[in-house]
Amino acid sequence: MRRVMVISCLFIVIVPLISGCWSKRELNELAIVVAIGIDKVGEEYEVTVQVVDPSEVSASKSSGGRTPVVMYHAKGESMFEAIRKMTTVTPRKLYFAHIRMMILGEELAVQGIGQTLDFFTRDQELRADFYVAVADQSSAKEVLSILTPLEKIPANKMFNSLKSSSEFWAPTVPTRFDELLKDLESKGRNTVLTTIRIEGDPKQGTGKENAEKINNSVHLRYSDIAVFKNEKMVGLLNEEESKGYNYIRNKVKSTAGIIACPKGGIITTEVKDSKTKVKGKMAKGKPRIDVTIRSDTSIAEVDCDINLQKTETIAELDKIASEKLKGIIEKSLDTIQHKYKVDIFGFGEAIHRADPKAWYKLEKEWEEIFPELEVKLKVDVKTKGLGTVMNSLPKKQKE
Amino acid sequence: MNFFEKWVSKSFKESFERDSEQQQIEPEIPLHTSLQDNIRDIKKTLGNSTDIVIREVRIGKSGDQLIGIVYTDGLADKSAITDFIMETLMLNIKGTRLDKKIQSSTNILQLLKDYALTIGDIKDVSDFKTLYNSVLSGETLILIDGHAEGLLASTRSWQDRGVTEPSAESVVRGPRESFSETMRTNTSLIRRKIKDPNLWLETRQIGRVTQTDVAIMFIKGIASDKIVDEVRARLDRIDIDGILESGYIEELIQDDTFTPFPTVFNTERPDVVAAELLEGKVAILIDGTPFVLVVPALLISFIHSPEDYYQRADISSLVRILRYIGAFISLLGPSLYVALTTFHPQMLPTAMLISIASQREGVPFPAFLEAMLMELAFEILREAGLRMPRTIGTALSVVGTLVIGQAAVEAGLVSAVMVIVVSLTAISGFVFPSYSMSSTIRMLRFPMIGLAATFGLFGIIVGLIALILHLCSLRTFGVPYMSPFAPLILTDQKDTILRFPRWALLSRPRLINEKNMIRVENELTQKLKRGE
Repeated sequence: MRRVMVISCLFIVIVPLISGCWSKRELNELAIVVAIGIDKVGEEYEVTVQVVDPSEVSASKSSGGRTPVVMYHAKGESMFEAIRKMTTVTPRKLYFAHIRMMILGEELAVQGIGQTLDFFTRDQELRADFYVAVADQSSAKEVLSILTPLEKIPANKMFNSLKSSSEFWAPTVPTRFDELLKDLESKGRNTVLTTIRIEGDPKQGTGKENAEKINNSVHLRYSDIAVFKNEKMVGLLNEEESKGYNYIRNKVKSTAGIIACPKGGIITTEVKDSKTKVKGKMAKGKPRIDVTIRSDTSIAEVDCDINLQKTETIAELDKIASEKLKGIIEKSLDTIQHKYKVDIFGFGEAIHRADPKAWYKLEKEWEEIFPELEVKLKVDVKTKGLGTVMNSLPKKQKE
Repeated sequence: MNFFEKWVSKSFKESFERDSEQQQIEPEIPLHTSLQDNIRDIKKTLGNSTDIVIREVRIGKSGDQLIGIVYTDGLADKSAITDFIMETLMLNIKGTRLDKKIQSSTNILQLLKDYALTIGDIKDVSDFKTLYNSVLSGETLILIDGHAEGLLASTRSWQDRGVTEPSAESVVRGPRESFSETMRTNTSLIRRKIKDPNLWLETRQIGRVTQTDVAIMFIKGIASDKIVDEVRARLDRIDIDGILESGYIEELIQDDTFTPFPTVFNTERPDVVAAELLEGKVAILIDGTPFVLVVPALLISFIHSPEDYYQRADISSLVRILRYIGAFISLLGPSLYVALTTFHPQMLPTAMLISIASQREGVPFPAFLEAMLMELAFEILREAGLRMPRTIGTALSVVGTLVIGQAAVEAGLVSAVMVIVVSLTAISGFVFPSYSMSSTIRMLRFPMIGLAATFGLFGIIVGLIALILHLCSLRTFGVPYMSPFAPLILTDQKDTILRFPRWALLSRPRLINEKNMIRVENELTQKLKRGE
């Protein structure tokens, strides 16, 4: 009994000591990576990381005049090789758990992203909640080297503006890394990624002075949506087509829409709430998709002569808006069905859900069926509010 | 024999052989018949101590009856002795019939007791042991020449601090009186709250040298007989030279020595003792200390404050939840910080991580050492604050806050977050109404930091599991320490994390009481009795 006690006591004392602090990492021994960019240069990967310089970001200490983030890059045949090779230049070990943005180079996106992402799915350190975007007309390395004003850490700027633009403007798609992986695996749907573009001369944006001017010359802007076929990028959707895509995918939270007044001039509406239902069904052996969109709007800006107090006017406006929205979505459908021929809407998944047996037959030839797929669109826009005034100011003055 | 006993006994044998010098008063030495002999013996035994007053007076009609009066100066009430013993015997009975009787009677003792001594409590004494005990605890001895017996008049009265406000357990709403060092005062404070004939008090002397009065107090019929018997048995087992504070008794009667958790509750508030007695617990009062012990003590009783019962139920429930959160922070604050920053930075939000990282920039110590240093500094400050003369207190707090807090951060030795964590932890440690439990939690904080620094969150969880296993293994006077959580007793959950309204606190705690469970009689209990 005593021996057992002594041994267990020794065990308790020794175990913490022999293990030491084996996987311990002090915060000031870590280089916190906030963004990672991947480009393909020839046969090699070029990995770029954006690392935070904590003392420059800190709220309390005065800035030492250095940039808040530092960029490191290295080339290698594989991702892991490149990343480990980077330790030859980085002062500390890179810590990847807090990545906010992953930027994929256009070249890489065209060649296929599946193999590249393998490392990130395998590594246990990563959190999969960062956004992925494709660099448009530039390399990922260039995107990551732009310093942004207001938000000290460019990765945070990219993360936040992608989030807010998708919430209030709609044509962007915030795709989290885990969602991207799920999409790549799915057979009934192909993925899309938002693209990010440098506005202005990339060389001017790398210095701290870019963040020191009121009207800084270089911006990072989210623009179009990149359409992927399986793991390869096949093309871009423009802003309006992107919006159409988001309507079908039920991802519109709020956006602005411009409609023409019956008597000339325009009215801008704010979409307050939009619900889309996509239903698949097999009709006479042929797959068919019903898309129903219900959108609640309110008048945001009136730039024409119109009497909004009449219910007929509102009904007319609703009709115009519905037609307009239908047009946008039809155009987007047309581009995707006939130009790219890639099912990024998940219509395949809808058929799968509705009629699994039929889907197993269609699955193999879905690529051929998709462009010919009959999509029935039903759009219903309802004006629910006029804002804080009934009729606009100019009309009152005339009376 | 376990390791610890062996360790203790190693040096004991020697001292055992050296023992024997102290004078032993044989229990049954009878008094002498001669007053002179008695006085000589008393003087000899007490070593002519100067605070023992021995007075010889003559009473009776012709003044030929010699009596001796012995008392301890400072412990006996001088005015009572003058007014009710000396004056009566020497002046008031002069010339009365009693005076004559004394002359003739052979049983003077009985006569004095029956007719002369106008004092409340009178006892007979015939042996030296009782004599010394009584005289040294403030009673007045009256010896009569020619009789091998004496009288003891209760004249106990000494300088008392009086009933003051409690200093260790303060409340906003509730009685403002606390126990003092005199046991009689303390028993009276409890009696004043519970005027029930079933409130029983048993006194015994413990301590071969100090002869300290120790009293057991319980409500007959509510307290479980088993627990009362167990308390009696444990107190009777004690054979020690002295009891100076309730802590002595606590250590000698507790169930487990090697546990950081107190298994005996102590309080300086009469209202708390009264409440515990009503729950069926047993109070142990010790003369010479304002701290009264209460057994059995459950873990939750250390987290509950008397004020919980004086405030409205909803407020006190919220405050209790706050206290549980405080307990959690107090135990795990620094260890969670160490674990999260050194092992699991991925669990922090990015913005927070960067902010913490920027503050740790340039700090020369690893987080573990930083936490240990700060905790140690705080403990030293706390201990110094307790021990130092009160007048220097302000100087200490200035030095403490300035040096440890601000200067250390500005010098870059310690990160600002660490200071926040340590001070939050320190403040949380004071949410415990019971001082003994807050010391326990403070002590356990250190191994927790060590575990966090070696295994991260995993270590903390292992530590917590070990802690909970240990807590569940503890018993206090036969009652599981963790009850009513483990074993889970649903009816007793009414007064654990939440405090139900008074009318819903129908019964006494189940494991402590076996009978007489109902506390409240109202419509609800009547309905229950009718079986609705």
